[in-house]
Amino acid sequence: MAMNSGAELPGSGTGPGSGGADVPAEDERLACGRMLSEVWEAWEDGADDPARDPHLRACPHCSAAVRQLDLLGAAVREAGGGREPEWDAGALTERVMDVVRLELRPGRPLPLGEREEDLWVREAMAAKALRAAAETVPGVRAGSCRIRPAESGGSPSRGPVRVRLEVVVPLTPRLRDLAEEVRRRVRGAADDALGLPVDHVDVHITDVTDPAGADPGGVGAEEGNQP
Amino acid sequence: MPGDDGLLAVRAAEGDEDAFEALVRRHAPGLLRLAASMLGSPAEAEDAVQDAFVSAWRRLPEFRGQSAFATWMHRIVVNRCLNMLRSRRPVTDLDSVPEPAAPDHSVSPVRAAESHAAAVALGRSLSELSPEQRVCWVLRELEGQSYETIAETVGISAEAARGRVFRARRCLTEAMTAWR
Repeated sequence: MAMNSGAELPGSGTGPGSGGADVPAEDERLACGRMLSEVWEAWEDGADDPARDPHLRACPHCSAAVRQLDLLGAAVREAGGGREPEWDAGALTERVMDVVRLELRPGRPLPLGEREEDLWVREAMAAKALRAAAETVPGVRAGSCRIRPAESGGSPSRGPVRVRLEVVVPLTPRLRDLAEEVRRRVRGAADDALGLPVDHVDVHITDVTDPAGADPGGVGAEEGNQP
Repeated sequence: MPGDDGLLAVRAAEGDEDAFEALVRRHAPGLLRLAASMLGSPAEAEDAVQDAFVSAWRRLPEFRGQSAFATWMHRIVVNRCLNMLRSRRPVTDLDSVPEPAAPDHSVSPVRAAESHAAAVALGRSLSELSPEQRVCWVLRELEGQSYETIAETVGISAEAARGRVFRARRCLTEAMTAWR
């Protein structure tokens, strides 16, 4: 212990350049001539395989050094093995979300209804509804959903909006039809559920998943966009 | 479903708090375990992870998905723990050793008492390490991370990370050998 306490001041050696001083200051040459750090490293890398370095296995000093690490490993398993097997994250989640709900990021206001009305919805709320609509198409998962005034003018403008939605879709030979179906449902939700006049819905397919549950296809982004 | 994290993180960055809640639920248990082994105290681990998530919510709009959400979160928690350990130094208070594991009733009482004592001894020697040594050691020993990953997370060189893990092991093996 004593070798540690004086050697490193709290907070010292955190900069990228300070590594050099930290390396083998407390290394030890074993009676066989090997450095302790080398022996432990070899053990860690699995190089204590006798075929690769017969000395490590045969040497009593090296084996004693490795046994120390094994002892430590056993103590770690005993101490931590059964501890907090399953953290209950429920209470923590509630506390985090209490703070989050005080710090919402609702986004810009978007116009609802007719031009002369004074009814607005926040982008984050509208986006939630549109993502949910996209996900009514089986297998589709929605990511980014940005909603902007279609005509850039005075802010906030009351014109129709333009939706840009990113989706991950199941692998199908009819990607274009699928994208079209997503667009139709998003438009439907905007019209009927929200009353948000939409000028344009861009659907961007950012990934394709294998419906069999295998790994995602990871094909590049395919774009289906038309009014 | 780690592939889903990316979608949820994008949604959360755009202000969807439900997506963020799903991420918190998914990642909190692992992060709590990590923080507890770094801090040695379940209560402090909860504080660290809670602060880390709140800070993640605030920083999400700048999170561009250069790394996986889990990696990003992991890094925030490690740094939070490192700061907590630093502000805690110097620790001489022996009462601050972690609570030992509850005895496992499937093993004999003698054995349980022994592993209890081993846990206390280990906890005590862990609390004597420097914050950087402790964090590097936990990432290496308990999380099985490469020295390169540890270096990146902690913001030091891989050589320095290697040196810290080595020192931590020296301290801990000496303490455990003495204890046995």
